[in-house]
Amino acid sequence: MTEQGTTHVIEVTINGRLYSRTVEARQLLVHFLRDTLDLTGTHIGCDTGSCGACSIILNGKLVKSCMMLAPQADGAVIETVEGLAHDGELNPLQESFSRNHGLQCGYCTPGMLMAGTYLLRENPSPTEEEVRRGIKGNICRCTGYVNIVRSIMDVADGPGPEKAQGKVGEEQR
Amino acid sequence: MLLKSVNYVRPESVADALEILSSNEGAAPLAGGQSLTNVLKHRVASVDLLVDISALGELRTITRTGDGSIEVGACATYDEIDHSPEVRAGHDILAREASHIEDQQIRNRGTIGGNCCLSDPTNNLPPLLVALDATMNIRAAGGSRQVVAEDFFKGYFLTALEPGELLVSITIPPIPAGTGAGYVSLSVAADSKTIVRAAARVRVNGVIEEARVVLARVASVPIRHYAMEEALRGVAPSAESVRAAAEMIGSDVEPIADGHGSSEYRRKMARVVARRAVLAAIEEGGRK
Repeated sequence: MTEQGTTHVIEVTINGRLYSRTVEARQLLVHFLRDTLDLTGTHIGCDTGSCGACSIILNGKLVKSCMMLAPQADGAVIETVEGLAHDGELNPLQESFSRNHGLQCGYCTPGMLMAGTYLLRENPSPTEEEVRRGIKGNICRCTGYVNIVRSIMDVADGPGPEKAQGKVGEEQR
Repeated sequence: MLLKSVNYVRPESVADALEILSSNEGAAPLAGGQSLTNVLKHRVASVDLLVDISALGELRTITRTGDGSIEVGACATYDEIDHSPEVRAGHDILAREASHIEDQQIRNRGTIGGNCCLSDPTNNLPPLLVALDATMNIRAAGGSRQVVAEDFFKGYFLTALEPGELLVSITIPPIPAGTGAGYVSLSVAADSKTIVRAAARVRVNGVIEEARVVLARVASVPIRHYAMEEALRGVAPSAESVRAAAEMIGSDVEPIADGHGSSEYRRKMARVVARRAVLAAIEEGGRK
């Protein structure tokens, strides 16, 4: 890395597994995940950093993987949507998306799940406004966000007033 | 999307980065990459060598100095600035505005230095830094220099930086008791592209003693509105006098027109956001 080059050998830990590959410097991180490693759970939507479908957690931070080059991830610890379920069992957030109809076509879902995962780690009992701000970088063209917000609120800690509002919404459904 | 083939290097120090930047004509620093990556995708600029400075710890520090100034490393991310106890201790407005840039993913990668060096007229931080009278600390292989924020922004995507120079940090002077800062944007949607915005720093001692009023998105760079500043000097810090001073924003300002508003609409809204920013600054100063 300290030597200039159009290709670099990078080492990345993804969902607990170490990968070492030679990459072109121009390769976007999202293409490294999808094309080089066949981790196609991370989606590509807009390719311009607007839609958030490619969101991953890199060194503990939510980022859009189409807005980084693969060599920039050298040495990083990455979490993708493939790391959420364990032994074929959905995790509580995934379960909540299923239960609350937090997806229709599913295209934005990997990004929404990673944004939701990050949000709840940073802020385990968010208000509805905080959830909406937390997924501002993720576009869904199906649902109008109501069920996505509900899915995230449903696994948040604590019975805050906004949380209670979410329950009212559930009854109306 | 496939980018044009490019060289990439991750220098171990700022000194190394400066050496590489000065000896390679087609080299460009890569910080958070939240704009540059798209520039490369669209091939609107040609870069032969990306010098990745984002991991350099010496560019990420945020320190408060003895006189109450804050020095923010150029590669501090918006999220780091938002959560920095040092920033919040005396420059809450910087933390607040950093927390309203685009979205969480961009705040986790985008940097204050990138926000300034891109010199996109819609960017959030340049007008605030001009209003707060910040100093841009610049280094090159051969030495260092300082440029006040007001002189740093030169035009659309153009700054005072010369080839081979790197913005390494930004120093913002203290906001003492009696002085407040305000920042008001009219935007397309929450935390998104702005139509027009204003930033202000106002010192009140019975009357308004000093005011800096900066308008953004009415020109290629943030501009101080000296006539409004002059009109504010010596008057009572009241809604009426601030409204009267904002009327100084007239035909001297010729904003751009686009799909979000005509030139005349932007001029009218400039008066509104300037008035509100000054009133917010007065209110904040009065609370301290």
